[in-house]
Order: sequence, then C-alpha cells, then structure tokens
Amino acid sequence: MKNKMENAPVLQLDGDAKGLSRLTREQLAELEDREKTPREKLFDGIILALPILTGILALMEYLLLPSIHDNPMPYLYSGLLILFLACYTLALFVGIPLHRQGRKKVLRYLRYKAPLYSALLVVGTLFDIGALKTEFFTYPLVPSVNSVLYALVTDWKTLAISALHTLRLMMSGYALGVIVGLATGITCGYSRKVRYWIDPIIKFMGPIPISAWVPIIMAFAAKSLSLGNLFVVFIGVWFSVTVASMAGVSNVDRSYFDAAKILGASQRQLIFRVAIPHAMPNIMAGMTQGMSTACTAIMVAEMLGVKAGLGWYMTWQKAWSLYNNMFASLIVIFLIFTVVTKILNAFKKRVLRWQIGVTQ
Amino acid sequence: MSLILKLDKVTKSFARVETRDVTTALSEIDLEMHDGEFISLVGTSGCGKSTMLRLIAGLIVPTTGTLSVNGEEIRGTSPTRGMMFQKATLFPWLTVEKNISFSMRMQGTYKQQESRQEVDRLLQVIGLERFRRDYPAQLSGGMAQRVALARTLICKPEILLLDEPLGALDSFTRMNMQDEILKIWQNNRQLAIMVTHDVDEAVYMGTKVLVMEPHPGRVMGEIPIDLEYPRNRSSAKFVEYRNQILDMLHFGSREKD
Repeated sequence: MKNKMENAPVLQLDGDAKGLSRLTREQLAELEDREKTPREKLFDGIILALPILTGILALMEYLLLPSIHDNPMPYLYSGLLILFLACYTLALFVGIPLHRQGRKKVLRYLRYKAPLYSALLVVGTLFDIGALKTEFFTYPLVPSVNSVLYALVTDWKTLAISALHTLRLMMSGYALGVIVGLATGITCGYSRKVRYWIDPIIKFMGPIPISAWVPIIMAFAAKSLSLGNLFVVFIGVWFSVTVASMAGVSNVDRSYFDAAKILGASQRQLIFRVAIPHAMPNIMAGMTQGMSTACTAIMVAEMLGVKAGLGWYMTWQKAWSLYNNMFASLIVIFLIFTVVTKILNAFKKRVLRWQIGVTQ
Repeated sequence: MSLILKLDKVTKSFARVETRDVTTALSEIDLEMHDGEFISLVGTSGCGKSTMLRLIAGLIVPTTGTLSVNGEEIRGTSPTRGMMFQKATLFPWLTVEKNISFSMRMQGTYKQQESRQEVDRLLQVIGLERFRRDYPAQLSGGMAQRVALARTLICKPEILLLDEPLGALDSFTRMNMQDEILKIWQNNRQLAIMVTHDVDEAVYMGTKVLVMEPHPGRVMGEIPIDLEYPRNRSSAKFVEYRNQILDMLHFGSREKD
C-alpha cells in the first residue's frame, strides 16, 4: 500500500474523510485495485508493443512482396500504415510518462485498444496478400485496400458532390418527417377526434415497406422525381415519429395534469409544458428509429430513381465495373451515417438529461 | 381579509367502469371552514375524503350542491387553492428550481426580480438550496415532498389542500415534515385541509378533526382539538382525543365485531 502511494505522487491523502471526498474516480479505482504483478506488467508491455510489430509486419509485406495486379499510387496504403505507426508511437510516448505520474488514462486506453489495432493490422496484411499479391480473391471484384484509397483520392470530387446530394435529400426528408410526425402524433395523442381520422392512415401506411413505395413514386412523379424521393424518405420518418409521440402523449400520468392544473396551467400549457416533455423519451426513440429508416430509404431511392447521391454513384460505378470506387462510396456512406447518428445521439442525451437516475 | 369556504349540500357520485351502476362518494355534505383553521379529515378508505379535496381544488365538479369561497362558486382549478398529493408529482424533466417556479412560468411572471427572490426564499425554507439544479430523480421521498410543498406555496394559496402528503414517507421524515408544514401554516394562517389515514397525525396537526364514514360518504363528527402548539403526542389529553376518534371509527379499545 505504502509503496503504491509513492508511485503516485498526485494522490495525496491526509487520511481523513475530507481527503477521501476529494478523490477523483480514477484515484479511487486505483486505491481499491490490487497492484499488478511483474508478470502482468510484462504482459501489458507486450500487448502495448503489438500494434507496432504488426504495423511493421503489414508495411513490410506490402512493400516487399511483388504485386501481381496493376496498383497505381502504391504509396497511399503504405502512407496510411506509416501514419498509424507514427500516431500510435507518439501516443505511447505521451502515455508512458503520464502513467508514471499517476495519470493513467491515456495508457489504459491504448492498452484497451491495442489488441483490436493489432488484429486489424493482421487482417489488413492477410487481405492485401489475398487481393494484391496472390489470386486468392477474385480480381477485380475484391479490391485491395490501396485501390480503394486510390478511388477515394482520385474521385473525391464526385464522391463529395454525391455525398452532399444524399445528405441534402435525407436531411430535408428527415426534417419534414419529424416536424409533420410530431404534429400528427401529438395532436392524435391528445385529441380523440383527430385520432379517429389519422389512425386509419397510420394503420394503412405503417406496414408498407419503404422500398415498395419507390416504383409507385417513380410512375407518378415522372416529372418531379425529387419530390417523390423526398416522399420516400419522409414517409418512414413520419410513421415512426407519429406512432412514438402519440404513444408518449397519450400515456401521460393523469396526476401530472392534475398538478399542473392546480398550478394554473392553461389547456395549451398542459400540452406544451406537460404532455410533450413527458413524451420526450418516446419522441427521441421515434426519431432514432426514423433516422435508420431514412438511411435505408435514401439508399433505395437513389439506387432506383434519383440521378445523384451515393446510392446512384454506386450503381453507376458498378456499370463501369469500378469495384474499388464502389467500396470507396461504401466508406463515405459509413462515415456520413455514423456522424449523423452520433449527432442525433448527442442531441438525445442532452434533451433527456433528466432521465439520468430514472432509467439506471 | 377573512375567508369562508362553504360546502352546501354537496353530493358527488361516480359511474363505475365495470358494473355500470353509480356509487355515491359524498352525500349531502354541509360544511363551513375559515382561514386560520387546520382541518384534518380522517376516515376509512372509501369515505370520500380525497373526493372532497378534489372538489374543493376544482379538479372535479359536484353532482349536486355547490362549493363556494367567500360566496363565489368554485369553478375549475385556481392557484389560490394549492394542493399537495401523496405522490410528489414533480415534473421529472424540470430541475428542483424550475419545478418550484412552474406556476410563475405558467403565468409568465418568472422574469420578475421578486419572483426569483421568492424561489430563493422558498428553497431556503425547505432547506434544499444545494439541490436547486438537481432533477427530481436524484431526490429522496422526503426531499421531493418538500419541493412539492414549495411548488404549492409559491402561489401563496389561500387554501392549502393536503391529500395524504406524508403518507409515503418514513416515520422520522414524516414527523419532521409535520412540524415544517405546521410552521408554514402558523406563519401564513391560511385555511389548511389535510386528508390523512393517521389519527395521530390528525390530532397532532389539526385545529379540528372531521371524522368521516363511508357508504355514502358523510361527516360523522367534528372534534375541535383544544391543545396548544407544539403538541405533545403522549400527553393525557392528546391520547384522549386519539382514543375518541379511534372509537368513532370503531377501532381502539373495542374490538370490531
């Protein structure tokens, strides 16, 4: 115990409760953890070094084995590997001295991620052998990592324009779906009369898969295809948001309404200050689900109808048998949808802050 | 200014959902209450105590008869008739501070300087200044009920309706809260009407205890409690009052047969 305290000069305990209450979470974990044996420390060291070893292995394999296919701009993949090695080594150089000072966060993170990085690099190496150095994968159906990077670098302008198109259509459809969905869901949840008329529409539209709309939209909206595509994205979002907010609003505990009425809330305020905030967890769940249907819908729409966007880019590149470009657009799609979902989650966390402690 | 709450032949019936027949929760109640009084309502469940409170609050309307404050008939709820429930019913999406100021923000008076000072003052009264930015989920039952009390008091109600407000609390918190509520009532001298299942609490807090009986709901007896505050729960007179009420409710020394 004493020995451990000397290793961690940041941790200063005066022994009384006041000192303990000033502990950080990290220091608390450290106090309660047992100390690692030399063997465990050695093992940790090896794991931490593993990404560097596998990284060098991947680099050597890529540079030393001869390619059997055409491989323009060969320096992209090797550059990426070197960039990773540099970043990782730098992180180690920052993390190790910090660790000695008792700030273990950086190194702990690296130790946690190191096995994953190593595995990725090994898979990358094997993949490169299969795609570029031998005939193991069918050429050119399975492109090497370098050729996908090549596609990203050379065709970035088209990719960016396509991505913008996708985002624009998706976001406008999504925004429209959320706004109209909230309006219908909340009024349906609150008023039985409105629900009488809207419910059949929901019951009819709900079970129809998004993709089934596409041919109909194209037939109807031969002139204004973009409006039809907007509809395809809109309808799924509208459905999820409507159903979720309706459930949220109609399930408000009566006692909240009683309390609010006693405190002088008007009919309008009962909706906007009680029913809607109460339904917020449901609404956010509907918005998350709506986002995933919007992502599917936009891809289906672009592959079948729209003459722009990443879905269109993919089908277009397939016609030219440019498989590496298809994979490149897959990466862009992944990036866009990840970022969009992350933003939505952050928003959700902020809006539902009050739920901390309710749901846990 | 004095205040008179009058119930004139008030009857309230409810249609039952399952059986289609109608039950009478309150039958021809005639009552008069004044400011400065602390009325305790006791009775077995189903005697219409809560119904009476909800009628006075204006949450429900009487089937026949009228309720009036200073001659003016009660129609709908009003912040001047504040009510506290057994459940704190704090809005979980609002912080303690915003729960307390809820009625001000409904009326649009929250921006004013004195409104904020009033919130600060009430936070101090309930001793929860440290928790002003916490959400209700982080509070204990007693703390939540204190916030609910502050939220009601901020409207400066002329009538304070308490529907078993301490029913869900542990006995120590409960005794503390009894004293806190009494102190607030003594400072403001409004009319307070409290429903309780606890005869001890009814005698400890009330200037008058109304004993009610069910089927149909009626007031069986009015017992003025002639004891000085703060009351001693084990004094002979206190025990006498308690036994008298328990007797009326057919509990206590006589076994129910």
